[in-house]
Amino acid sequence: MIYETMSGRERFQAAIALEKPDRTPVMPLTVSFPIRHQGMTQGEAWRDLDKAFQATLDTFDDLGGFDMLPKTNIYWPMLGGRFSNAPVRNLIPGRDLPEDAIAQIDERELFSRDDYDRIASLGWNRFWEEHYEKMSGKSLKRLGAVQHQLLQRYCREKQVCEDRGIPVLLGAAVDSVMMAFSLSRTLTQFTLDLYEVPDKVQAAMDASCDDLILNTLDTIAITNIPLAFIVLERGSGAIYRLDIFERFEWPYLQRFVDAFVSEGITPWFHLDTDWSLNLPYFRKLPKGKCVADLDGSTNIFRAKEILGGHMCISGDVRADMLTLGTPKDVREYCERLIDEVGKEGGFFLTTGCECPVDAKFENVRMMIDIAKTYRGKH
Amino acid sequence: MEDQLRAAFLRMKRQEAMDIVKAEINRGTDPLVILNACRHVMEEVGRKFETREFFLSELIYATEVFKGINTILEPLLKSSRENDLVEGSVVFGTPKGDIHDLGKNIVITMMKAHGFVVYDLGIDVPPEKFILELLRTGSSILAMSALITPTFEAMKEIIQRLKEQGLREKIFVIIGGAVTSELVRKEVGADAQTLDPTEAIRLCKNYLRARR
Repeated sequence: MIYETMSGRERFQAAIALEKPDRTPVMPLTVSFPIRHQGMTQGEAWRDLDKAFQATLDTFDDLGGFDMLPKTNIYWPMLGGRFSNAPVRNLIPGRDLPEDAIAQIDERELFSRDDYDRIASLGWNRFWEEHYEKMSGKSLKRLGAVQHQLLQRYCREKQVCEDRGIPVLLGAAVDSVMMAFSLSRTLTQFTLDLYEVPDKVQAAMDASCDDLILNTLDTIAITNIPLAFIVLERGSGAIYRLDIFERFEWPYLQRFVDAFVSEGITPWFHLDTDWSLNLPYFRKLPKGKCVADLDGSTNIFRAKEILGGHMCISGDVRADMLTLGTPKDVREYCERLIDEVGKEGGFFLTTGCECPVDAKFENVRMMIDIAKTYRGKH
Repeated sequence: MEDQLRAAFLRMKRQEAMDIVKAEINRGTDPLVILNACRHVMEEVGRKFETREFFLSELIYATEVFKGINTILEPLLKSSRENDLVEGSVVFGTPKGDIHDLGKNIVITMMKAHGFVVYDLGIDVPPEKFILELLRTGSSILAMSALITPTFEAMKEIIQRLKEQGLREKIFVIIGGAVTSELVRKEVGADAQTLDPTEAIRLCKNYLRARR
């Protein structure tokens, strides 16, 4: 074991500031994994969030502890009646899906092409206040009440974690503007919109960006965790050419970052899909303030060459390795990550996206143990 | 006509492409000739994607245009010589536990554009349904797509059932989707794995060619 001189939070902050911590900070993005590990079904967890929280804590202990808990439970903290994410329909195990399936999004069109003009004139929040009930057939008031309850629960759970010395990562989750629109229209329809009515899309996005920022700031004011988990898997060079990224993703991301950083909030870019083409843009963001969280699709070693010394990188033990690989595979890969991406600091060892529900326990444990024991070649 | 269609497809002009097709139908052009022209253009779109000249968004756009044109042509083709173009047939689905279908749908449209007949079983498909469909259709290719890891078990089970029924050697099994990899291919026992729709088509064509 490496002799530790820092707390998990200090280690995390050092990594963001591009400093070299006492050892590599580590965090599997555990959400559904702890539920199965504790012998519960996903359905049971959704029906009994107290048990789900306990499963998360027990699994944290079983894994020997790690630097931060990504979030406390299986739900996402949201602000009552407001939307910092597209209001997609989540399919819940035991209710909409088989008892032990994992929660998934039922992606469908939430608004039509004709609605862009309305969004442009109303903005994101007022549009959904007007449109949500018509779109979903559900009461906005009831949604607000449920979201409020979940947010209060999240704050209570966060307090329990902090009392036990476990810092919680996520202050609020927010879709990038492009992600929010893509999820609301579906990737296919949104792509058609970008080519066929780009000006309408841009006008609607212009009118929505500030609302998404404000909703996030409001949530963080309640959770009191200064980190915005920005979900943006739809704007990358894996899907769109750079002129589209430059017009429909990048300007709004810059506005997100300006707003969050000026409030002392860390923008955590959850970069699913391959962002290799886009990474040079991220060098234009303030140094030592943001995190690029990679899922294994982007070449993380190349990302280090581009972002090293400018932005903290988080990643990226792949789902297939955690599920099908061996502890030896995980050890070798994590050692390489620590050697190459962790060189000179600015690195957070995490799972590539969420830790899979069926990850082998010994693989997840190995990932954590390596961070605690391997100093790296440098 | 093919040049006009090519220009419309490559410049991402859906309405223009549809108008060309409608005008050709009104002019009495054989729907099969129109379909063939669209297929040639889609092959070019695929090549441009392979060489990174086109991005996934352009592939998505072109497949939507092709789907739209197919909807117009299909009723007219029923009485035509549609089968003349058949490259092979494929049973395709997202295995049990997974409800994602975007990647699957793109590959299916591309496959149709390349002359494959595709039997799309949809999402969250139980293992037995794949086997029954393979038996019903006599297809020699099974394609499965996945975005989450629990589908690995389902893929394994499907391939195991193929073995038990003595079908494994007669069926080419190809998998794809963001969580798949060479490691997954080996583990579930598939013949091929790819994340690239155009490569999927090439692998299937190669298989059929080798089999003939």
